[in-house]
Amino acid sequence: MTELELRDLRKTYSARGRPSVEAVRGIDLTLRSGELLGLLGPSGCGKSTTLRMIAGLETVTGGDILVGGSSVTARPAQQRNIGVAFENYALYPPLTVAENLAFGLKARRRADRGDVDRKVKEIAERVDLTPLLDARPAGLSSGQKQRVSLARALIREPDVLLLDEPLSHLDAAQRDTTRRELKRIQRDLGHTTILVTHDQEEALSLADRIAVMKDGVIQQLGTPYEIYDSPANVFVADFVGEPAINLLPGIADTDAHARLSDTLRIALPVPVTAGRKVIVGIRPEDLALTGADGLPARVVAHEPLLESGIATLALDGVERPLVVLTAPEVRLAHDDRVHVTADPHLTHVFDAETGDSLR
Amino acid sequence: MTLRKRLSGWLADAALILYFVFALFPIAWMVILSLKPTNQLFSTYFSFSPTLDGYRTVLGDSEGIPFVRFFVNSLVVSLGAVALSLLVGLPAAYASARWRFKGSENLMFTLLSFRFAPELTVIIPLFVLYQKLGLFDTYVGMVWVLQLVTLPLIVWIMRSYFADLTPELEQAALLDGYSRKQAFFKVAIPLVKPGIAAVSLLAFIFAWNNFVFPLILTSNEAQTVTVGALSFLGGDRPKYNLTAAAALVSVVPPLLLALTIQRYLVRGLSFGAVKS
Repeated sequence: MTELELRDLRKTYSARGRPSVEAVRGIDLTLRSGELLGLLGPSGCGKSTTLRMIAGLETVTGGDILVGGSSVTARPAQQRNIGVAFENYALYPPLTVAENLAFGLKARRRADRGDVDRKVKEIAERVDLTPLLDARPAGLSSGQKQRVSLARALIREPDVLLLDEPLSHLDAAQRDTTRRELKRIQRDLGHTTILVTHDQEEALSLADRIAVMKDGVIQQLGTPYEIYDSPANVFVADFVGEPAINLLPGIADTDAHARLSDTLRIALPVPVTAGRKVIVGIRPEDLALTGADGLPARVVAHEPLLESGIATLALDGVERPLVVLTAPEVRLAHDDRVHVTADPHLTHVFDAETGDSLR
Repeated sequence: MTLRKRLSGWLADAALILYFVFALFPIAWMVILSLKPTNQLFSTYFSFSPTLDGYRTVLGDSEGIPFVRFFVNSLVVSLGAVALSLLVGLPAAYASARWRFKGSENLMFTLLSFRFAPELTVIIPLFVLYQKLGLFDTYVGMVWVLQLVTLPLIVWIMRSYFADLTPELEQAALLDGYSRKQAFFKVAIPLVKPGIAAVSLLAFIFAWNNFVFPLILTSNEAQTVTVGALSFLGGDRPKYNLTAAAALVSVVPPLLLALTIQRYLVRGLSFGAVKS
């Protein structure tokens, strides 16, 4: 299979009379052959533009795209051999599933009829579409459409596969099964794949590595665990993790502590120069309710979600609420007094000015 | 059913019947007129001896007026105008729906402006031009001038059809290795067929019904039915029955066309095969 490399890839949109917009500002990425990389970010972060540039559907302002070591930047989409499963499936309504799949093969006119039929059957088998080959797209469920779309991208045996929000239009049940199938198919066929998504769950469950993007820049690149365990900055910490991380402003104190209010101090994982403004990040799942020692707080709300609970606390003298994931047996009522502790090894600390991690 | 519901039903029926009488009366009047013999033309009561002589005269070329030729002229000119407009207009509509290029909006607006300038404002310079260029009273000249009528219509309506198609379909085709041209012909065009059918019919009707251009820009060779039907009013005595027969005959092609592509018309109006 094939390696994909992006070198300082840039895209600037300019229109007359309007300030130009830098959608993608210098992306460097190398995908190993067969790797599935998740490009994760909020809408407008440049992830879709990046995908479209790789596919050749968008011109490149600067930088280079290399597939298997050779530059494809100057080539039109037709000559890149990249497969895309579009967000809206892009299935051709008047054609059956089989015809839709065959449509992609006929462009190059190198396959004869028998060959086309054989390939259609083969790929249909792979993605469990055999019973649906004669159906038309209008009659399919979203999950089935997604599989056809995927099969259509795969049937040409592309060098690189691009998935654009593949699960975003599916309901919860279909999402789970389709996600498992996507993973299996991608691993079986071994395509180098980029998955573009704004949904962290999709990225975490499917990707070998994740690149978190914001404002056209990759904020952090790493395995799902690296992203989760040591977020590079406040944005990554905040964007990945559900419920979202607690971010409390404070001032660094001596002896590796930070002052959250006049009375409250919290232990930091590393010493920080005293007096420096910091943001302390603690994930709701890394906080524990204790009997007496720890930070005193008042319960604002408690949502029992059966397998766990989400408690919203007000720390004494701290404006921001603190969200804590509680054990299933914990029962809390409004205005209860509790104490909460955090493991300093699992606590994150960021510079308040730059947002970068200080760990 | 309650009395109130039934009453409002009757009222609606009555209103509809009234409207039908109002709408169909001129047509009924024309039919009656076309069946009258010449000597009873001006009788105002409804009893007369109906005759098809009027139609025979109109179609038989016996008054020295070649109505059949006008009819064929109308067909050639209208179909030609629609065909040329489709040939030029479909790519134009597609381009303007997919890409914003320098002056694209101005170009589209200029095209639209042909529709709100009355034909009479340009007809005299056109007449002079046509005389000089040798386009006066020719098929080419008529097809050309009718572009003012058919082209804006086709471009503007088809533009919105193309705009409704998600570009992802064509992009998927490009990735498959199809060329831009193939993506247009094999992907985009088949999906807007109902739209093409609907807009072609509309354009045909507008071209067929046009009166001012053939009135001023043709004399005999390329004259169309709209102008030709009036020829029966000339001479020593206006022959209203012949004009009525001619007018009714000239209604047939648009009517037949509308009936045959009715199926597409409905689909053309309720288009939405692609989720966006």
